[in-house]
Amino acid sequence: MGAGWLFLFAVLYSAGLLFGMVFFVIMFSDLESDYINPIDLCNKLNQFVLPEYGAHAFLALLFLLWGQWTAFLWNVPLLAYNGNKVFNKNHMYDATEIFRTLPSHQKETYFKLAFYLLSFFYYLYRMIVALVAENA
Amino acid sequence: MATPAEQLPPGWAAEWLTWNATETATGRTQWEPPAPQGGVAPYADNAPTGSPPPAHHHAKRRQYAAGQTQAYYGGGGEAILDPGYLAGQADSTWGSAALYAWQTHAAPGVAQPQYYAPTTEPEYINQPGYGQQQPATYGQPVDNLANQFGGMGIAGQKGFQLYTTNLLTSPPDPRDLQIPPPEIRLPPNSCISPSPTANSDPSYQRCTLNAIPTASSLLGKAKIPLALILTPYRSLKEGDEPVPVITDTVIARCRRCRTYINPYVQFIDGGNRWRCCMCNMTNEVPQLFDWDQVRNQPGDRWARAELNHSVVEFVAPTEYMVRPPQPAVYIFLIDVSNTAVQSGMVATATRTIKENLDRIPDEDGRTKVAIICFDTSLYFFSLPQGTTEASMLVVSDIDDVFLPKPNDLLVNLAEARESMENLLDKIGNMFQENSIIGSALGPALQAGFKLMSPIGGKIMVLSSSLPSAGAGGLLQAAVPFYKTFAIECSRAQVSVDMFLFSSAYQDVATLACLPHYTSGQTYYYPAFNAGRAEDAIKFAHEFGEVLAMPIMLEAVMRVRASRGLRMSSFHGNFFVRSTDLLAMPAVPLDQSYAIEIQIEETINTPFVVFQTAVLHTTCYGERRIRVVTMALPTTSSLSEVFASADQVAIATFFANKAVERSLTHKLEDARDLVQKSLIDILIAYKTSMTSGGAGASAQLAISENLKMLPVLTLGLLKNVGVRQSTQIPPDLRAYAQALLTSLPSQLLIPYLYPTFYSLHNMPPEAGEIGEHGVILPPPLPLTSERLERHGLYLIEDGQTMFLWVGRDAVPQLVADVFDLPSYDALRGGKTTLRKIREMRRGPYYPHLYIVKEDGEPPLRLWALSALIQDRADVLPSYQQFISTLKEKVSST
Repeated sequence: MGAGWLFLFAVLYSAGLLFGMVFFVIMFSDLESDYINPIDLCNKLNQFVLPEYGAHAFLALLFLLWGQWTAFLWNVPLLAYNGNKVFNKNHMYDATEIFRTLPSHQKETYFKLAFYLLSFFYYLYRMIVALVAENA
Repeated sequence: MATPAEQLPPGWAAEWLTWNATETATGRTQWEPPAPQGGVAPYADNAPTGSPPPAHHHAKRRQYAAGQTQAYYGGGGEAILDPGYLAGQADSTWGSAALYAWQTHAAPGVAQPQYYAPTTEPEYINQPGYGQQQPATYGQPVDNLANQFGGMGIAGQKGFQLYTTNLLTSPPDPRDLQIPPPEIRLPPNSCISPSPTANSDPSYQRCTLNAIPTASSLLGKAKIPLALILTPYRSLKEGDEPVPVITDTVIARCRRCRTYINPYVQFIDGGNRWRCCMCNMTNEVPQLFDWDQVRNQPGDRWARAELNHSVVEFVAPTEYMVRPPQPAVYIFLIDVSNTAVQSGMVATATRTIKENLDRIPDEDGRTKVAIICFDTSLYFFSLPQGTTEASMLVVSDIDDVFLPKPNDLLVNLAEARESMENLLDKIGNMFQENSIIGSALGPALQAGFKLMSPIGGKIMVLSSSLPSAGAGGLLQAAVPFYKTFAIECSRAQVSVDMFLFSSAYQDVATLACLPHYTSGQTYYYPAFNAGRAEDAIKFAHEFGEVLAMPIMLEAVMRVRASRGLRMSSFHGNFFVRSTDLLAMPAVPLDQSYAIEIQIEETINTPFVVFQTAVLHTTCYGERRIRVVTMALPTTSSLSEVFASADQVAIATFFANKAVERSLTHKLEDARDLVQKSLIDILIAYKTSMTSGGAGASAQLAISENLKMLPVLTLGLLKNVGVRQSTQIPPDLRAYAQALLTSLPSQLLIPYLYPTFYSLHNMPPEAGEIGEHGVILPPPLPLTSERLERHGLYLIEDGQTMFLWVGRDAVPQLVADVFDLPSYDALRGGKTTLRKIREMRRGPYYPHLYIVKEDGEPPLRLWALSALIQDRADVLPSYQQFISTLKEKVSST
């Protein structure tokens, strides 16, 4: 299969991740304005933490298998960051600490949001480049 | 204990005399609570001249009977109703009437202890002037009265005076710790009540700064942390004024910020409306506010408790309830494994419960109790009505805990009293021969939780081994069970108290999580053995006190503050349920919380108000709101910020901060953080308050009121909870950390800086009953320089006491104290003396150790480690600590 299809898939995929992050951001601001209590918030968000990491890792794996080195390298830092968190077992949101750690969680979420957004455009660009190259 | 002088060896008397002489120079009587300069005398001086008496008088813990208060206001009813009533007109009539009232009840106050110099704030004479503009700047001279006071040597109105001390030349004096925090000097007219109780006592709520900087940049310059230290549910000792209760359910609150009406609001529109002191919102005064519902007649608004007292309790109407007030529920989880039975814990615990059944709060006869025993199985006891025989139900399936019976497990204490006593008598024998080792604490907790979760209440865990079976087994590290379970508990209004007894490693740090998030408390009795009478007495006393404690149930706490201030983080035993709401399923007495405050925007008001509200159900089935209000002036001057800092509150806050840091980072980071915070304060002081500015200088300057902060910090750094040492068992450390974050300042300060008394050369009046209770000998600085070979010393930190006996102790002294013929007959170690008295708040019953100067080295070392001004291993002495600080400060 061609790189065009891979990047098309990646574009859709990162759009999905993007929406996931928007959901996280909304939830955190809900917590700040007291629309949701920390226990519910953590129960809800914790369901999505590992799937999100997994999804991101899967995408990186696809790039690796297809030999898309630049795209893969672009994803390595986040992959390492996530892996480190899981390894240290602090990837889950802790309801007892959430208010103390909220600013850092928010910062992290915004950062990931930006990352997926950039990824989205990068994959889009690569998809177009690949499709043009295939047609030519 | 005063040994006649002629029996002393010659050197003894001489020592005493020299000591005495030096101390007299500094005013030996100062170890009594410091007398105010001037005391009450000013009133007498003022009265004949006709100048208005100072209306506000802090900490004169005098009861304000309703009648008195009314007299005090000089029947102010009509004046209040008339908005046009001018202050000037009122002067003559009001002045004399109220002056008279003041004199009449100021007189008996003469003999009372006074901790604060009187302030010249709000004068009731200006009271009826509702719309009066407040003076724009705080600290300007108000009238000649202020000057008069200034002339008399009483701290004047003109801001805080900053006195600089050089830490290098002034060694810490433990008596300084008893000095009250810098006085709160509110601008005139900020308080509508002349009552001395209108601002909160430091034992309820205190702030690290008693003058709030108007901008966060100013706070940043001073480097002093801004935090509240609060103990809203403080115990009442003899002589304390009970918290006034407002029973008519007229609760006036601000529409916008939900602040409760307090002495710092302003009445406008002829008293029909009030302006909120936090958000300036204008609110209607409730219709029944001026109506006395008890006597069914118009009442006097100014006599209402919420306008005269900073700490009040409202009886809450049904809008404040999600369900009818719950009964108090106690479930005892008793470890009956082999180790627990062998140590005698089970027997002592059951006996203590039985003896204290009467003391468990049960005024309305609704209190429910249950007992569950556990080793690697669970033993439930069913106490059906009508019989006095309990039947035991064993559940050995601990992977999926279920209740063997739907009812009769949790029984009404009053109804099942007899069978309960029977059962408690039998439990000891029942498990006498139990040889099972292991503990299914997790499943037992789940069972207790299942039993009480529809109601909520208190689970008391008595465990003497490391949890090993079922959920929550701690044989492998870092089990999330206790944290998630704590959250479930908090949701179901269940609070957990841990009583831990193990001689081996028990992972106190993990188990303490549960009390920490459910507003309980951890109690730890390492290597408990009931065979030693002291162990049994200590545990029985503390457990009994905890049982008898009138707890607050189903509580939520919220702290509100004036605009521009935000509560940014919370320390203590509770669960943070929303950005500013603290959930506490059961609030024990005398638990302290610390709250960091952020200045978000520039404050333009002359004073700010902090209000803590605790909505709770009393254990007598009444829904109540306890409201603690504190007003503090604002300031834009850095010197006032320094001069108003409260060293005790700062030290309390440091302790909380250090423990928090040690949980998320390394212990070393916690120590560094504390030391760095202290150095920052010193640098800030040096660069902005002394002429030297930056660079090296010969002194280490700090303001007089922060003089003890370095030694308290050193005490914290040397405390078992934070100390640098590889020899402290992790369990002891975790317990010390639990104490550091929950003890109120009154207990925490001796825990950081133990009190050290010399008993063989006490002044003659010590030990007698004086005006303020027993007169104590003067505390000494904590250094072994003070230890003499023939002396007898008491070192006490609230948790342990050491009685140090010098090797040349006079036989008569030994005979008087211990009833033994000579020093050689004396044995070191844990003992009980009948002469011990407990004066502090809290349930703690300290162990007493007798330490012989040539006794066992470990005990000696332990006792000496309490002398924190000395060098111990790698830990610096006070002198070294101060010179390190100086180096760090100079190098910037």
